[in-house]
Amino acid sequence: MDKPVRIYQCENSPDGILSAVFEAGISGYGHNYIKIQPLDQDSIYNIELFSEYIKVETSAKKAGNVLETIESRISHEAVFFVMSALLSEDGDRGNVIYQFVTYGFTIGQGITKALQLECVARIFEIKRKVHNEAHFYKEFIRFQEVKKVPSVLMAKIEPKNRVLTLVTAHFEDRFNAEYFIIYDKSHKEASFHSADGGCIIRILTEDEEKKLDSLLDVNEKYADLWKIFFNSIAVEERKNYKLQRGNLALHYRKYMTEFMENN
Amino acid sequence: MVFELNAALSDKLHILSAAAKYDVACTSSGVSRKSKKGELGAAEAAGICHSFAADGRCVSLLKILFTNECIFNCKYCINRCSNDVPRTSFTPDEICQLTMEFYRRNYIEGLFLSSGVMQSPDYTMELICDSLRKLRLEYKFNGYVHCKAIPGASPELVEMAGWYADRMSVNLELPTEAGLKELAPNKTRKNILTPMRQIQAGMAESRAILGMKGGNQSSYWYTQKRMGRSLPGSQENLGFVAGTANNRIPAENAGSKQNTHKGINNNIKNKINADNNLNADDSLNINNNIINNTHNTETALSSRGSVLAQWNRSDTSRGFVPAGQSTQMIIGATGESDYQILSVTEALYQKFDLKRVFYSAFVNVNNDSSLIVNDGQPPLHREHRLYQADWLLRYYGFAAGEILSESRPFFNTYLDPKCDWALGHMEYFPVEINTASYNTLLRVPGIGVKSAGRIVNARKTGRLDFNALKKMGVVLKRAIYFITCNGRMMYDFLKVEEDYITRNLVSGETDVVKGFGDSITYKQLTLFDDFQLGKL
Repeated sequence: MDKPVRIYQCENSPDGILSAVFEAGISGYGHNYIKIQPLDQDSIYNIELFSEYIKVETSAKKAGNVLETIESRISHEAVFFVMSALLSEDGDRGNVIYQFVTYGFTIGQGITKALQLECVARIFEIKRKVHNEAHFYKEFIRFQEVKKVPSVLMAKIEPKNRVLTLVTAHFEDRFNAEYFIIYDKSHKEASFHSADGGCIIRILTEDEEKKLDSLLDVNEKYADLWKIFFNSIAVEERKNYKLQRGNLALHYRKYMTEFMENN
Repeated sequence: MVFELNAALSDKLHILSAAAKYDVACTSSGVSRKSKKGELGAAEAAGICHSFAADGRCVSLLKILFTNECIFNCKYCINRCSNDVPRTSFTPDEICQLTMEFYRRNYIEGLFLSSGVMQSPDYTMELICDSLRKLRLEYKFNGYVHCKAIPGASPELVEMAGWYADRMSVNLELPTEAGLKELAPNKTRKNILTPMRQIQAGMAESRAILGMKGGNQSSYWYTQKRMGRSLPGSQENLGFVAGTANNRIPAENAGSKQNTHKGINNNIKNKINADNNLNADDSLNINNNIINNTHNTETALSSRGSVLAQWNRSDTSRGFVPAGQSTQMIIGATGESDYQILSVTEALYQKFDLKRVFYSAFVNVNNDSSLIVNDGQPPLHREHRLYQADWLLRYYGFAAGEILSESRPFFNTYLDPKCDWALGHMEYFPVEINTASYNTLLRVPGIGVKSAGRIVNARKTGRLDFNALKKMGVVLKRAIYFITCNGRMMYDFLKVEEDYITRNLVSGETDVVKGFGDSITYKQLTLFDDFQLGKL
């Protein structure tokens, strides 16, 4: 006999989703009847008839517990899959992670390669999207020198997923001797890197956002030189805007120096 | 000729980047290097593109000439000495500042420095070395550097550049010696192949002493290894193997390299300067379509001693040309066939251990009457087919002779080289996805390196069906004619028959992919099977 679907509602954060996975897992209710729905405080959602709703309290301890269990019972790679999916903003990621983990406990470490399973194919796709977006920002992010002495570099992005940690790690290595700020406008957070190696990532207050926005209003000598280079490096006889758009989607161009008009 | 000696930096940048744009290579791949404390930059093995220009090509490196002054008169080149164009030069400091400031803003992944030939090849090469030394040692730049070896420059200078650069390239320019003589009268095959051979030998030595840090192998090398074939740059091809000859430097003795390399300066000319022996027709013999063995060259290289004279320097830790070397050929300025070009490419991968060969569709910038001009447009489609075939050589284990032949020297306009090959070899198909080997899967049109790897991994957990293949990135539009899953093809009406498949592949018959393909009851007269054009 069919039983009602249970929907675990949790905070829209990595810890929140993992806490819901924990609760759903120990309930023993059966994975075909469980859904996980991450909610923002003020978000609107459709209530399904004939479903039970369960509110899940976020618990860092339970979240950590889930990751440890995945590490010991499946593999380190599976942890990497789950962590990557947690950075996504895909509304379905809670379900996908829960299904992936459940199957993973049965199949073991082979799970990450078993793309013929729906949940694995989905988590693989979500993970790939997150890392692709992070890679695009490693390519296309543009810094400006917003302060001269000491020199401070700043970049602004509007990513769909929470890729700030991935992007920051990349620049922490190559810009180890620079002060830099990467400002994620869509998630209202920023990373601050100091020339002595320290780095923090945190949520911004409204005032801080305004301050960071105002800093970017500068025209730089090197930005002009870069535009000159960018325009003269294209071969006229091979002009191909379609190919250019395929390689560099328009929405990345918003904060790219070479596509911005001078103030 | 206008010399703009005191031009503003912006004018110089405009002139010297526009003059460099016909160089194709803009890759920042081939070396993975973490940052150093207090230095700027790192390198990623796969390379990073930073922008895409209006022609759709990636911008990864600050691609500039040191100078566009040139004493050579190559007919295809915008910078030839007989052209009246504004001439200017950077100073080494200007190059360093541009590179550093662009890099800090994440505009670029590094520097690609090329140059016209000012005064003499040696004079120019020295200026290049000077700029690179400054960039590495004074400005502390740890990012990617690609630089050109100027044909005719002395081996000492080529080596010096190789210690600062990640990748070096010497442009082959034209696939045949005759073409080179005709269009680039100041260059010879010997002048081009000599530095190429020197860099190859230096990389082999660097690898033997520093291990992978001294430079990793090319994709062509890995593919040949996987297929169990003889490896490029190995003993029989190059005559260089660490630890065999008595005064060869064994890898474990890297610490005592100073001693081992004493007095090598005297040797270097004898070793690399196979100049006297390096005969172009021996190395890349196109006329007979056979790549003769590089007999003379090999003798020169396998003689004893080190080829790198400058181990005794402070900054050998990056290795010698760790990202390997590449080259470039101009396509469509002279009359070679695609088969000739592809054979030269294969020979370069095998005999010179190159990482990449680039093809540059000829743009007739000088409107020179002695050059072949086909309707004025650069042959972009031909270039595209060459790159496709190049990938088949480097990643899929194809040989040039499988893709084209003397009797069929040009690419099929309508079909990509892999489909074209598969249609000519229907005896291998269909392939069963659940049992076929990795190498067999790679031969199926629509299955690539990534999807073949995923298939091999996924079938360990369970059998695969067509739905699963789709999720793994297999292009079913092409693959369905060549594969079975659990003994069945995707649709029962599919025929394993050359003309039928050709017709569907060329017309992009979407009905077949959707499963309605057998509803066509009449047969349309088509060029491709009725007149056998598909076999072109």
